[in-house]
Amino acid sequence: MTAVAATEPRRMRASLTLSVGIVLVGLHVVVALLTLVWTPYDPAGMAGGRLEGPSLAHWAGTDRLGRDLFTQIMIGSRIALTVGAGAVGIGALIGVTLGILAAFATRFLDDVLAAAFDILIAFPTLLLAMLVVAATDSASLFSAILALGLAISAIVGRLTRILAKRVLEMDYITAARTAGTSWAGIVFIHLLPNIWPTLLVNFALQFGLAVIAEASLSYLGLGAPPPNASWGRLLQEAQGTVYTAPFGAIAPGLALVTLVIGMNMLADGLRDIGDPTRRRSR
Amino acid sequence: MSAVLEIENLSVRSGETLLVSNLDLTIGENARVGLIGESGSGKSLTALAATGLLPPGLTATGSVVLDGTEVIGARDADLVPLRGSAVATVFQEPLTALDPLMRMGSQIYQPVLRRRRRAGEPAARADIEAEVRRLLERVALPDPDRIANAYPFEVSGGQRQRVAIAMALACHPKLLIADEPTTALDVTTQAEVLDLMAGLVREEGMALLFIGHDLPVVARIVDDVTVMRRGEVVERGPVGTVLARPEHDYTRTLVAAADAFDRALGAAR
Repeated sequence: MTAVAATEPRRMRASLTLSVGIVLVGLHVVVALLTLVWTPYDPAGMAGGRLEGPSLAHWAGTDRLGRDLFTQIMIGSRIALTVGAGAVGIGALIGVTLGILAAFATRFLDDVLAAAFDILIAFPTLLLAMLVVAATDSASLFSAILALGLAISAIVGRLTRILAKRVLEMDYITAARTAGTSWAGIVFIHLLPNIWPTLLVNFALQFGLAVIAEASLSYLGLGAPPPNASWGRLLQEAQGTVYTAPFGAIAPGLALVTLVIGMNMLADGLRDIGDPTRRRSR
Repeated sequence: MSAVLEIENLSVRSGETLLVSNLDLTIGENARVGLIGESGSGKSLTALAATGLLPPGLTATGSVVLDGTEVIGARDADLVPLRGSAVATVFQEPLTALDPLMRMGSQIYQPVLRRRRRAGEPAARADIEAEVRRLLERVALPDPDRIANAYPFEVSGGQRQRVAIAMALACHPKLLIADEPTTALDVTTQAEVLDLMAGLVREEGMALLFIGHDLPVVARIVDDVTVMRRGEVVERGPVGTVLARPEHDYTRTLVAAADAFDRALGAAR
């Protein structure tokens, strides 16, 4: 009974965390989808005076060219989500595949892959992004996604390798093999479902980190070029006028923080519901 | 009578250390053979070597012929079709031998599906689900529908082991390897599971390799025993003879220990 009493508040906290996470991320998703069909103002056109503060007409004020900041932040949501989803997608695909391969591989190949993951993790993401920009000849949304995807694939790969190795040592894998399950069966029926909850949590965390990293890249001019209104670029543009028009930096900052916190809360909530042994037994 | 499993001169090494040395063991069709020894005597390694599933780092030499196929040196891909059809295994700890995140019905579903596809039998969902249900009833599980929908952690140890036995049965193997299947269970459940296994082996016409360290438990279910110590066979023969007139010192110790335990129980009563 004490176990039940102890898990109940924990469960409620978990579902609260998850709900807040879903609301925050959902808000950004809705806004991002909305910008595909409608924005309050033309994102590239002058909508008011320069460096205006927040008003009813311009919720986040205007930038130094008189463009509506709220419109740009809305478009920033779309860019942040695209980069996050793209980078995590690439990272998950490469990372999970290589991680499982390493767990099954001969000792030599396993060592090579493990070293590759470690080196890529130690490699600064910014430097990696510059290399990708140099290799693709232009700073674009795609180069940012590719660079972050590669960085994430190393983290996911290392995690997958460790999780998979632990699962492969379990008796139920030996039991499945003695019953004639093929390697493909082991991977898809037993291995992936057992490491999936942990991976999913990690994907959500990496998504949040990718959003921050994309803002850093754009701030440095390594991300999406203008007129793409990435939050990082908005912050960079607001830097020069931060004392006269602080809201230019605060507004995109707030947008960034709400999305990242939302993603992290989503990850935390997922962690607690992903494992059926933590669910209430019937 | 042809043999289901023929082990000749099997040695298992970890680097320089000899874990099993020159073991011979033959199991004919419908034979029930016990493999007894203390922990670390190489019993379980023998069973793993028989299915070609030794952990990485261990090497086997000699000859293991499983249902007409040489296992040692064979490619894993060639052994996959043999596992399940020729042999299935029930392990010691059913909690870890069942996938924790999979409903138990689905875990029995997989081997049934595989066997039916290999045999060319109808493999429609309804057919398989009906067989899963039959298997759960066969291992005397109450309320099969509830068990099929439950996760392993939601049922008792004895019920889990019955599910593991149902998974092995689902393969219709010629040889059932039971690696200390009752060690993790309490004494009452132990007896029930043993009786269940004895009945199933007889009715399904399977051969049985029963591995254990507890002489009375093994004696209850097998006809012949092989006693192992430190990787070597020290004695073998019909279970009655070995129990009544043990020839090797080590077997005598095992029998004496079992007798002493019985006497202690008797005194307590």
